[in-house]
Amino acid sequence: MTEVAERAPAAPAPTPARGSALAELLRYRQLVAVLVVRELKVRYKRSVLGLLWTMLNPLLLMVVYTVVFATIMRSPQRNFAIFLLSGLLPWLFFSTSVLQGLNSILANQELIRKVRLPQAVFPLSVVGSNLVNFVLSLLPMLLLMAVLRQPFTPALLFVPAGLLILAVFTSGVTLLFSTFTVFFRDVRHLAEVLLQMLLYLSPVFYDLQMLGQHEAWWFRAFRVFLRANPVTYLLPLIRDPVYYGRLPPISAVGIASLESALTLAIGFAIFHRLSPRHIHYL
Amino acid sequence: MRNGEIRIRDAGVSYRLYREKVTTLKEAVVNRFRHLRTAEVFWALRHVSLTIEPGETIALVGHNGSGKSTLLKTIAGVLQPSEGEVLVQGRISPMIELGAGFDAELSGRDNIYLNGALLGFSRKQMEAKFDRIVAFSELADFIDMPIKNYSSGMYARLGFAIAQDVEPEILIVDEVLAVGDERFQEKCKARIRDFRTAGVTFCFVSHSFDAARELCSRSAVLHHGRLAFDGPIEQGWQRYRELERGPVPGPQIETG
Repeated sequence: MTEVAERAPAAPAPTPARGSALAELLRYRQLVAVLVVRELKVRYKRSVLGLLWTMLNPLLLMVVYTVVFATIMRSPQRNFAIFLLSGLLPWLFFSTSVLQGLNSILANQELIRKVRLPQAVFPLSVVGSNLVNFVLSLLPMLLLMAVLRQPFTPALLFVPAGLLILAVFTSGVTLLFSTFTVFFRDVRHLAEVLLQMLLYLSPVFYDLQMLGQHEAWWFRAFRVFLRANPVTYLLPLIRDPVYYGRLPPISAVGIASLESALTLAIGFAIFHRLSPRHIHYL
Repeated sequence: MRNGEIRIRDAGVSYRLYREKVTTLKEAVVNRFRHLRTAEVFWALRHVSLTIEPGETIALVGHNGSGKSTLLKTIAGVLQPSEGEVLVQGRISPMIELGAGFDAELSGRDNIYLNGALLGFSRKQMEAKFDRIVAFSELADFIDMPIKNYSSGMYARLGFAIAQDVEPEILIVDEVLAVGDERFQEKCKARIRDFRTAGVTFCFVSHSFDAARELCSRSAVLHHGRLAFDGPIEQGWQRYRELERGPVPGPQIETG
């Protein structure tokens, strides 16, 4: 075991301190920031519209979904576009982070072979850059709200707190998947399928209240799944203030915070446990 | 332990060699995880014990595949030993290759900050070092140019310029002096001698006897993952030559 004791108090430069993995990660927070900026730069390099794509993307998506759901399927929801965006944008943040983040250890293997650093910075910086994208994509949604005369209420002030809880949850899941991918490369394909299924099994395109009552066993199973699905409690954090103009119920906020904190704690613990072995599997 | 001290006790690093590399779950399930049971264990490094005192300068010598790079990785903390222990006390530049993590698309300036962040320095700390680093590298005219346009010598200069400014108590240098022109090499050597006077522990990997003798008094010769010799540099080099010529006698440890 490589053990490095505490540095002398006056020493200004870094010393790896074993034991407190969290403290070490915290010391590298600037690196996360640097990696986030680099990722954003790379993503939009040589594209004419650059960051504008981030904002254009959800708008184009929304046009498609609105046409499909509101026109063809005649959804009864008022301002269905806003309803949809307020669920789809958080979902896209979550699923894109996980799918990009699970590759991050493999993508940075050259560095991991040569530099000792907390490897969690790589998945976390993917979540960070997606969070920036997510926040930017909220701007065109706000614009659309104004156009569609969707009321702006003080409940909107809750959105940043919702973002934070969602980011904590996403970080935990991304850490888990990124370490598993090192050992089994097909975790990526598994994750793609699971996320696709989870999208329809989470209240993104619909809301809990929109579900009717059926006695069929599969419908009851679906309801049980919805109640057990962690994403069910995360989506109202954004949709309630944005679409319904109200604060999410305190119980939902409580459950969401708890499950997010737990997911991150478990994700980080497992990642920290497995990361010394990554180098043998890269 | 004192700052700058490295204590390696019976350290070993093993890799599992799989006859078939299993990287998908399907293969693993189909084979009922047989690969985990039948994997051969290959020791890249074994039973290595070495104590390096603060301020000592040591050359790690060995032919390709001898385990010197593995040893260097465990000292830097990139690799965890599978058995035994590697204790390193004090600030160490946790990088086994100068300029690791440089991004070819970014300018020299951005790369200094990126490299600093990889070493765990904040932007503010790097700003304080920035002018010194640029001055040492002598790349002031090119600092805003993407480093993909740098020559390999310029690349190495920038890498060494950063490493020499992180105020290490333990400095690891892997063959950097082979690149760069002679004048810059002299400058690097002078800087390393300064470090030595200041009591910095110095681990040097080189295939050049002249460079090693100039900078180091002690050598550790690795052969097939074992420590084959530990002692004065001249004798170490002799042993290295012998081993290279082979037929190879079994790994043995001598202390000179």
